[in-house]
Amino acid sequence: DLMGVRLAGSQVGIQETKTNPLVSISDEPETLYKRLSLLVKGHDPAVLDSYEYFAVLAAKELGISIEKVHRPPKNIERFTLLKSVHIFKKHRVQYEMRTHYVCLELKHLTGSTAAVYLEYVQRNLPEGVAMEVKKTRIEAIPEHIQKPVWDTLPQVEETDIKS
Amino acid sequence: MAAARAVLRRGGCCWVALSQCGGWAAAGPLCGAVAYSSVPAVSSRAGKQREASTRRTSRPSEFVKTHVPPRTERMAVDQDWASVYPTAASFKPASVPLPIRMGYPVKRGVPLPKEGNLELIKIPNFLHLTPPAIRKHCAALRDFCTEWPSALDSDQKCEQHFPIEIETVDYISAGTSIRNPKARVVTLKVKLSNLNLDDHAKKKIIKLVGERYCKDTDMLTITTDRCPLRRQNYDYGIHLLTVLYHESWKTEMWESEKTEEDMEEYIWENSCSQKNALDTLLQIKASENITNVTKEELLASEIVKNYKKSVVALKNEGETENNMSQYKESVKKLLNIQA
Repeated sequence: DLMGVRLAGSQVGIQETKTNPLVSISDEPETLYKRLSLLVKGHDPAVLDSYEYFAVLAAKELGISIEKVHRPPKNIERFTLLKSVHIFKKHRVQYEMRTHYVCLELKHLTGSTAAVYLEYVQRNLPEGVAMEVKKTRIEAIPEHIQKPVWDTLPQVEETDIKS
Repeated sequence: MAAARAVLRRGGCCWVALSQCGGWAAAGPLCGAVAYSSVPAVSSRAGKQREASTRRTSRPSEFVKTHVPPRTERMAVDQDWASVYPTAASFKPASVPLPIRMGYPVKRGVPLPKEGNLELIKIPNFLHLTPPAIRKHCAALRDFCTEWPSALDSDQKCEQHFPIEIETVDYISAGTSIRNPKARVVTLKVKLSNLNLDDHAKKKIIKLVGERYCKDTDMLTITTDRCPLRRQNYDYGIHLLTVLYHESWKTEMWESEKTEEDMEEYIWENSCSQKNALDTLLQIKASENITNVTKEELLASEIVKNYKKSVVALKNEGETENNMSQYKESVKKLLNIQA
């Protein structure tokens, strides 16, 4: 039995070597994310707490700066239905659905780091939990907005852009 | 029989010996005296009922699953837990060496133990994501991460070099489809002070854009969702920004017909206030019989300049104590009232 346990461990615990053959570096410039806001929604607050701990620890380990971790107030949706299939209007039954939220705000991520972190955190999203990721990407002003085009092309009076 | 059972617990599985023992099911060393209603108290049973209970728990005796000691007994305290639960898996009571109980207890009882506990299996567990496991994963993933450029440490620097902010939202949830129609919305935000605009262009772009501009933060927000894909919406947003920018630099012929109501801020030149002031002054001078005082001279004089400043301040900034007192002084000087 101990042998079996060790084999399973070795299959899982393979570490990447120093010169990682899986890492490929490309020439295109990195996208920069000023802020990454993760909103996790679920019905069970205990599950969300555990997930928050996991996400915060993962961010810290990967060197991502965490701006704020807060729990927006829960949202309870209640409705009242008739208890019986036929008549008995005075006897009703009430149901409610509670949605708890946990919001994680990270700042200053590059495109690769964001992709890695999001994939890791989303693959380990528990069943029954939803997530919304709001990404704020920052970009430089594109070249065609640097200067008005009328200076360079005096002949072209009318624009061809018809929106 | 008790001796045989003791031998079995120490040694491991001896299936044949136990079947010869017959009867007593070794229900595991952890199952002590638990007060929950499903298992009858064995000590108080008469012979027939005893047989029935044992028949239920050890039926059929060939399938001696209950007699195999669980894996938890063979686990060392310092084992590698990541190899027991490497990936997300349901809760296995025989693999988790913790005395967990879950469930609503009977009166004066305790919650149900972990063996065969459906509540423990239903709830998502994080046994595969213990802190050492997370650290191992992150150590492996760190090679794929890149560092944030150290020169952009504050928000102002980010804005100075990269003024355009693009907000996109991704949605993940369980369901029949992974698509979410809200995911195609793209929001572009720019501060107009970062764009290369002159005075006229800035006013024109604010008029063109209308509600999408916020005066307090000087932020232009363009939200696009008319295309089915996110990339198309982003391209459309950039296209809108380009068109707005270039159109605002153009001066159309009809823009010369801009009236006073269209002006964003009050301009004193060629306004009725200037006309009235000049007319009044000219009349005063005429009554005092001083001729050949031209309008330019009047305009350049201190009194009129003061008056102009106070009127402009009043109209643009609103009525404050300062503004009102300044206006009073300037009017007094203009009309030569000493009161």
